[in-house]
Amino acid sequence: MTVTEVRAGGGVRTPPPVRPRRRGIGWKQRLEILALSGPAILMFASFVIFPVVMAAYYGFYRWKGYGPPTDFVGLDNYVTILQDPTFHDALWHNGQVVVLSLVLQGPIAVGLALLLNQKMRGQSLIRVLIFVPYVISEVIVGTAWALLLQTNGAVNDVLRSIGLDGLAQDWLANPSLAIWTLMLILTWKYIGFAVILFLAGMQNIPEELSEAAAVDGATFWQTQWRITLPLLGPTIRIWAFLSIIGALQLFDLVYIIWGQYVASTAGTSTMATYMVVEGRNAANYGYGNAVAVVLFTISMIIALVYQRFVLRRDSEGQA
Amino acid sequence: MFSRRTLAAATVLALSTAGLAACGGGDDDGSDSGGNVTMQLWHNASTGPGAAFWDKAVADYQTAHPTVKIKIQQVQNEDLDGKLQTALNSGSAPDIFLQRGGGKMAAMVEAGQLKDITNDITAETKQAVGDAALGTGQIDGKSYAVPVSILPGGLWYSKDLFAKAGVTTPPATMDELNQAVSKLKANGTPVALGAKDAWPAAHWYYFFALRSCNQASLDAAAKDKNFGDPCWVKAGEDLRAFAATKPFNDGFLTTSAQQGAGSSAGLVANHKASMELMGAWDPGVIASLTKDQKPLPDLGFFPFPAVPGGQGDPAAIMGGTDGYSCSAQAPKECSDFLNYLLTKDVQEAYYKAYNALPVNKQAQGAVTEDYLKAVLDAYNKAPYVSLWLDTIYGQNVGNALNVGVVNMLAGKGDVAGIIQAVNDAAKKG
Repeated sequence: MTVTEVRAGGGVRTPPPVRPRRRGIGWKQRLEILALSGPAILMFASFVIFPVVMAAYYGFYRWKGYGPPTDFVGLDNYVTILQDPTFHDALWHNGQVVVLSLVLQGPIAVGLALLLNQKMRGQSLIRVLIFVPYVISEVIVGTAWALLLQTNGAVNDVLRSIGLDGLAQDWLANPSLAIWTLMLILTWKYIGFAVILFLAGMQNIPEELSEAAAVDGATFWQTQWRITLPLLGPTIRIWAFLSIIGALQLFDLVYIIWGQYVASTAGTSTMATYMVVEGRNAANYGYGNAVAVVLFTISMIIALVYQRFVLRRDSEGQA
Repeated sequence: MFSRRTLAAATVLALSTAGLAACGGGDDDGSDSGGNVTMQLWHNASTGPGAAFWDKAVADYQTAHPTVKIKIQQVQNEDLDGKLQTALNSGSAPDIFLQRGGGKMAAMVEAGQLKDITNDITAETKQAVGDAALGTGQIDGKSYAVPVSILPGGLWYSKDLFAKAGVTTPPATMDELNQAVSKLKANGTPVALGAKDAWPAAHWYYFFALRSCNQASLDAAAKDKNFGDPCWVKAGEDLRAFAATKPFNDGFLTTSAQQGAGSSAGLVANHKASMELMGAWDPGVIASLTKDQKPLPDLGFFPFPAVPGGQGDPAAIMGGTDGYSCSAQAPKECSDFLNYLLTKDVQEAYYKAYNALPVNKQAQGAVTEDYLKAVLDAYNKAPYVSLWLDTIYGQNVGNALNVGVVNMLAGKGDVAGIIQAVNDAAKKG
């Protein structure tokens, strides 16, 4: 916003704005920047950039994993991947998980956050209970759920013992149920993360706004709908971004609960489990690396598109 | 004068580079001037007796050969393959290490990472072990590993549960097996199968293939990776027919093979299942999963039954061997140590520690357990012994068989799908 002063009887003359000249930073500062960011850059280059480059390199070879790769096959691996129906299935399952995570976790997490944002008794206890699953390691969560959901596991035992035999299911191996079982576990595990993010976002909304709304006679729901939610927008968009990327890379829970091969018959395999089964288990390391490159490319494109069209408003500082 | 900030910055810089120098390290392999030799040995024994066996074997060897020193490193079984691969590729491989053979060994040989020990195997060793067993460590007629124990596969069963169901003799034909299974299922003790790990399910296909295909077609498939012979389809049909009788435990698709009481080995250990098709390591796994962690007292073994209409010899058996290899750069003392591992006394100690069949024929006399005697009997009667199919044909085809068989058992694929998956795999590998 610029304010032009209009003086009576005179033209408007604003002096040309003086830009402060940026002085070059001194060598001392340069050395400091280098020294302080050096280790981080070095770590990032050697543990992120270098492996990505190596994966791209190995992806052009047919390689069994012993000795240097010699059998150059060009784009053959990529052609095979893109034509493999098992990979199409895995991609489709990833897509389902991406969409279902947003649709299921988003509303539930917003609701819980609104609830927990109020003053109430036992608030901190509920926060802890919701957040605990997120803290437990994936391996432990996976093992526990796998045991609970076995056909003779605790869940079916409980159902049978209260006379609901009809509800006892093959929760894991039944292709029409498995994806929902997976979504239930994912929601249970990652909802805490979303709730914490949203709560933090709500803390940043000034009290004055809801007070002003109350003075204007807005009901509680109107306040939430017209003030809290719109101002929570940037937080929700960042959460959705993290959720999408996480869903694309989903591996550990599926691999532990469904094992190495049942995932694809149950309809819960993902690109990452496909990579491990077809790369590591088959000892086709070149092929596995090519799958990694495909997964990386897909995630990268989605991330860039999302940044460009969704997050840009937020990063430019306009809510 | 330096300002305090510059000093701090310089310190950080110095520290960050110093951290890099801590990587890497040298091996002190090979001979020093005094003719002394140091070697590294990697084994996978996680149990007390297994580790004690290696400690004693190495100590005895060092006493007999004062110039040789062997450093033992114990590696978790699950980590072994990965660590070995890293070590071999980075040129810092152990001199002596556990070798699983098959496709992995072929890849190591192709990369020039293994020592050719063909001429180092002594006449005594050859006589005590026999060509069939030594053949498991050979590629194109050259030896790259020696076996230390044989692990044939077959059906491990509970004698008590069989008696309770009125099955008096172990089934010898497919018909008898089907009758036995229906009696055992009536008692709520089905066949245990850990299909979550896939390979136990694929083992059923391997054994049907062993009965369906003759030795020539098995070997031909190993050569050209072509599974066009109709015997492969018949093996699939046999498995489909058997699976259609619903012989396996409830939820077998999500049952693991060896983890916990709910695994297939755990079901046998706790008398919740009557039998399991598995390799000769199974008694040890079952023993670790019984309530008192002691061997199952009523454990028995019978070979895979004869299947009507097959080309394979009904007495043929399938199994694997645990062997040891020398890495390409290992000193010549390495192969001498391998010969020592196959001597009678060491082999007897190995059997006692691992509860596995020794390859040395003189040491086989020390075997006392009923079920191991049954295994040994089947092994010695077998006209030929085939390695596990995934070991012969390589992980690539093994993986495809895993996928195909699990798909079929889950009702998602058919027999043609198994053959298709195998042929597709050959394209990727």
